[in-house]
Amino acid sequence: MEDRFDIAIIGSGPAGLSAAINAKIRNKKIIVFGSRDLSNKLLKAPKINNYLGFYDISGVELKEKFKQHIDHLGIEITYERINNVYAMGDYFALMVNDKMYEATALVLATGMESSKLLKGEEEFLGKGVGYCATCDAPLYKGKVVTIIGYNREAEEEANYVNELAGKLYYIPMYRKDMKLDQNIEIVNDIPVEVVGEDHVQSLKTKKGELTTDAIFVLKDSISPAQLVPGLAIENEHIKVDRNMSTNLKGCFAAGDCVGRPYQYIKAAGEGLIAGQSAVAYVDSQKNK
Amino acid sequence: MKELLENDFTEEIENYDGVALVDFWAPWCGPCKMIGPIVEQLSEELGDKIKFSKLNVDDNEAIARKYKVMSIPTIMVFKGGEVADTLVGFRPKQELETILKKYV
Repeated sequence: MEDRFDIAIIGSGPAGLSAAINAKIRNKKIIVFGSRDLSNKLLKAPKINNYLGFYDISGVELKEKFKQHIDHLGIEITYERINNVYAMGDYFALMVNDKMYEATALVLATGMESSKLLKGEEEFLGKGVGYCATCDAPLYKGKVVTIIGYNREAEEEANYVNELAGKLYYIPMYRKDMKLDQNIEIVNDIPVEVVGEDHVQSLKTKKGELTTDAIFVLKDSISPAQLVPGLAIENEHIKVDRNMSTNLKGCFAAGDCVGRPYQYIKAAGEGLIAGQSAVAYVDSQKNK
Repeated sequence: MKELLENDFTEEIENYDGVALVDFWAPWCGPCKMIGPIVEQLSEELGDKIKFSKLNVDDNEAIARKYKVMSIPTIMVFKGGEVADTLVGFRPKQELETILKKYV
């Protein structure tokens, strides 16, 4: 395992990067998890006129400015996807499949996932609905399992679960050639609702209904509450105070994931506060 | 912390008058590995008031089925042999502590 970082920042949009530069300036050992394009939403913006100091700029141009800024400070982005973060008490454990990073403080800047939850998905979470098929697969030995896959990685999980499950349905939410084991039944339909009593019994779809013991929903990014178990959420957003502190000690959040309005400069401003709060928290831990 | 087996579940948990905690886990489960040490820490702090134990769901499928454990880690709190609280998934130490203190 690598040494413990002072601050781990999840997300490379304006909030995450603003947190990163403010923590870096204060000499903290940081790690930033994100993507090569920094933020997909930034790439898509044709014209931005409300970012103070950069009038009439395109999203791509603004992204370049951000990139130059972090490069200048020697901030690198780690292109890995965090599956789960565990609040262990005095540090956070960040999991990337089997690999683990440790950090004293955490800044969440994950943006907002626009795809909606299925009806009943939340209600049956842990009662047949899950987000990590490989984690819970052995509990469904010989049973009927349905996987709703939003990306190619879901296919690998499906093939693994297929070795244990009695029957596996795969519902692809994308259009691509699939590499699935032969006896997996591909269902080209749209899921609508999770149905059951004390646990999952079936999945209603647009065209029909599948009887199933478990439903796994495998998306690109999971909601903050699933990413960080125990994190308090209010009206779909991470609950924070004026210092961008969440309910978990040492965990801060900034940007779209904490609430509207969804704007670049608001995200950057919150990132600054979250970054500085994280710095203050790390210092207080060191002087304990 | 006691590692429970199918045969002693009735005696240790179901017939126990006080408050007992069971951590349902399995060796292949990542979040179980993370919550394990937290439960261990709490057993040191609250062990004289709550009976702490764990059950490997791989080796004791019948118990897992009986209590409808559909996802792990699952932590169940028993009071007088009845399930008083079911906590599915990883919980931060702070939160687990707050919940358990209600039973102290």
